[in-house]
Amino acid sequence: MPIQITGAMMLQGVVSGLLAGGLYAMVALGLSLIFGVMRVINIAHGALLMLGAYTTYWLFALYGMNPFLSLLISFPLLFGVGVLLQRWFVHRVVNAPELSSLLLTFGISIFIPNLAMLAWTADYRSVEFLTGSFLLGPIAFSKPRLVTFLFALGIAGLAFLFLLKTKLGKAIRATSQHREVAQVCGINVRRIDLIAFGLGAGLAGAGGSLVSVMFSVFPEMGQIYVFKSFLVIVLGGAGNYPGAFFGGLLLGLVEGLASLLLTAQLSEVIAYILLVLVLLVRPTGLLRGRA
Amino acid sequence: MKPLTWGIGLLVLAALAIMPFFVTSYIVSFTIQTFMWVALAGSWNLISGFTGYVSFGHVAFFGTGAYTGALLISKAGWPWLPAGLAGSVTAAALALLIGYPCLRLKGPYFAIAMLGLNEVVRALISYFEDFTGGGSGISLPPILSIEPVYYAMGLSAVSVTLLTYVIITSQFGLRLLSIREDEIAAEAMGINTARLKLYAFLLSAVFPGIVGGFYAWYASHIEPLGTFPLLTTITMIIMCLFGGKGTVWGPVLGAVLLSVFQELVWARFLFVHQALFGALIVAVVLLLPKGILGVLQERYRLPRAI
Amino acid sequence: MGPCWKVRVRELLALLTALAVVLIGQAGTVGAQAGKPILIGASISMTGTYAKLGNYTRDGYLLCAKEVNDQGGLLGRKIEFVIYDDRSDPPTAIKLYEKLITEDKVELVMGPYSSPITNAASTVSEKHRKIMVASLAATTSIWERGYKYLFMTISPAEVYMEGLIELAAERGLKTVAIINEDTLFSKAAAKGAADLARKKGMRVVLHEAYPKGTTDFSALLIKMKALNPDVIVAGSYFDDAVATTRQMKELDVNPKMFGVTVGGDVPDFGKQLGKTAEYVYGSTQWADNIPYPGAKEFVQNYKKMFNREFSYHAPAAYGACQVFAEAIRRANSLDPDKIREQLLRLKMTTAFGDYQVDARGFQIAHKMVLLQWQEGKRVTVWPPQLSDGKSIYPTPPWNQRR
Repeated sequence: MPIQITGAMMLQGVVSGLLAGGLYAMVALGLSLIFGVMRVINIAHGALLMLGAYTTYWLFALYGMNPFLSLLISFPLLFGVGVLLQRWFVHRVVNAPELSSLLLTFGISIFIPNLAMLAWTADYRSVEFLTGSFLLGPIAFSKPRLVTFLFALGIAGLAFLFLLKTKLGKAIRATSQHREVAQVCGINVRRIDLIAFGLGAGLAGAGGSLVSVMFSVFPEMGQIYVFKSFLVIVLGGAGNYPGAFFGGLLLGLVEGLASLLLTAQLSEVIAYILLVLVLLVRPTGLLRGRA
Repeated sequence: MKPLTWGIGLLVLAALAIMPFFVTSYIVSFTIQTFMWVALAGSWNLISGFTGYVSFGHVAFFGTGAYTGALLISKAGWPWLPAGLAGSVTAAALALLIGYPCLRLKGPYFAIAMLGLNEVVRALISYFEDFTGGGSGISLPPILSIEPVYYAMGLSAVSVTLLTYVIITSQFGLRLLSIREDEIAAEAMGINTARLKLYAFLLSAVFPGIVGGFYAWYASHIEPLGTFPLLTTITMIIMCLFGGKGTVWGPVLGAVLLSVFQELVWARFLFVHQALFGALIVAVVLLLPKGILGVLQERYRLPRAI
Repeated sequence: MGPCWKVRVRELLALLTALAVVLIGQAGTVGAQAGKPILIGASISMTGTYAKLGNYTRDGYLLCAKEVNDQGGLLGRKIEFVIYDDRSDPPTAIKLYEKLITEDKVELVMGPYSSPITNAASTVSEKHRKIMVASLAATTSIWERGYKYLFMTISPAEVYMEGLIELAAERGLKTVAIINEDTLFSKAAAKGAADLARKKGMRVVLHEAYPKGTTDFSALLIKMKALNPDVIVAGSYFDDAVATTRQMKELDVNPKMFGVTVGGDVPDFGKQLGKTAEYVYGSTQWADNIPYPGAKEFVQNYKKMFNREFSYHAPAAYGACQVFAEAIRRANSLDPDKIREQLLRLKMTTAFGDYQVDARGFQIAHKMVLLQWQEGKRVTVWPPQLSDGKSIYPTPPWNQRR
């Protein structure tokens, strides 16, 4: 049964969509870093996000730590996990055909959540820290989402500053633009791989911390963010970091409005059609130019 | 192949053909599912093992076949055998629709597009609920005897394997392999890679469609979530990889070994089983990327068409 | 490829050896089976999506077996459950029931957990002419297939929201919005609620499904907010029930009554949501302090045997097993047709509540219970004869709560 969509509803849809999109953007930025540098699609990204969420949950449940403060722990912790994963497993498939890295990271993506399930059970948990909303006329700004959005923007901003201004950041961008040339220029590509995977994992972990404030925490919570992140990278262009960011916001917006105007089922279809169109028509992503 | 090989092959087939008369229906049931995996892994091999294009959403063809079969049985009153076979038509049609644009995508992009395809087919089936039953799925009449399904699945598995043999020994197969090794070079040598990839893709969709149709009848109830899981795609890939991709017997070997392994290990390591499966995937990728047959081929200089 | 393949061969051998060890190890355990007790087979989801609730189901069976045996068993023999894990996967359940019936030669079977799995597994029991008392399948369509040997013991999905709709109608509420997860059970529950509401003269202003795994309900809630219905019903499982409630607060959606089909009945709901859970209605097949005969003892014995909290799934499985046992006693035989006759005729009240089926084996006597979260506790507010409190009405808007 069709519903009259009013202006206020549209506006609320835009607000909700953008707020969701900020998180997608940050999580996808991590995936994009890894993909840009190594051409590895990290399916285990969602599992890393889940670990970040549990970090925040346990710190909150056991020590009452402010979930946003726990970002200072979840980011470095997951950075470390990422470096280990890269050192032990992923570096062995960097130059192999994409099937190897897809399967390898998929294997990790079911291994880690199942360990989490054994350790912490499959129970749903939540970080009941911020609830409710700020009302601005007819528009509700969800408190947890608004704060999360601002944090996501801040973290993404810091990541950009790092990529743009520091020597290491420049080396990462150089490697993602042309691996061989970067190597010839004296960049230790293996080390860059380690750092890129660590950063990517750290961003996923930070994303998990932020997600835990809004949604339930459980071992398989990360799955839905993986495919969304693929969409974001494609929309923004592979290895195009500002692109990944705008791609995230765009995806949030498209999803929010599509499920408002159509149904939640169809919003997935719309997102996919967008994906294929962009892949075929503008394989370098929607944003012109490069990072 | 040598006469001896043919002889052994026929003997095994004969043994499988009379097996249902001597074993419990549990064993029959287990074998049906193993046949299904042989057909699925073998089909994935046709596109991805030969051309190197990673179909990461191959379960979409299986699910499409399952829904075609189930709808024809429940709405049009077809007998299950033709309904199952009809699954090949819709699966191939989907492959044509999606393969034509997407096979131009290179490397990881093709994989992502295929992954998305699967999600979309599932979402569409859920959405058109008046026709497909949506999330409730479709219930079929109970099957009173599973032996016919056994033979149907068995024939599908044999057909996929024979088809693989025919392809690998043909010029078509050689050309596909050249795409895997170096697509640009293949194109430069005058091979119409776009068309060949599409043919291989169509062939690789046909049998998942058929076994999907049979599966619907066998399971007697299908619904979108259980019919399109990514894990099914991964399982076919890992079976194929474990046995040896790009070979005739690799998918068969991988499917049989892993099916038996799953069946026996599950009950034993109930709670760590999933984690073990994840570890197995990692182990196969890192230690055995060429698969059992690939290693044996290199070791003993076995023929390519093994 | 110089020395590389040597390593590969060795690694390959290691993998194969590991496989072989498992295979051989397995072979030794098959075949040891004593004939004396009556074996009852069941597959339960001990791992996978339904693991948690599946394990309660198993507990219920095991507790029932213990009590039946303590009272001298059935037909002079002890009973013993043979339970396998179906990984929450219907085809696996089919295979396991084949195994139970044809390899383990169990004399009786009981149902698995969840509707989709019962749907699949019952094809096997029906084929082998085994009675299946389906302890945890609430989907009506399963009983529309004309099966002879399949019996239902819990209330069907369609009446989950009967209490909420009835209370709403009593108060003269006019409009209802319904959302549901797009899966077998939730869909049936939502449709049932819609039909009941229309029967009571209410208007269904929204009825929309969302895919399983949805975490963000903003779009649906925005629509609801605009429609401003008197009653909101969510055909949910646990995680979506929690998310919907929380996001209603975030988007300031204020119905006069809000109820969820599944999820609102478990202690975790209140634990996760804290004060946000207040005034939410949940429905359940059974409640801890329900005045059925034997219910109190069940709670004690369960705590004694398993030492943990449980959901209604445990008493449901327990009650179904008791019904089955009673029918067998009356039939005084394990013959499926004789038991069937008794199950069709039987009227009884267990710790789980009333049992009576129609000619299809479909449950017609068991009652659902509606509860409401009040001061962090679950209070039974419907039906009147089982209630231990009154519902607080209307639900105050979010901005008027403390």
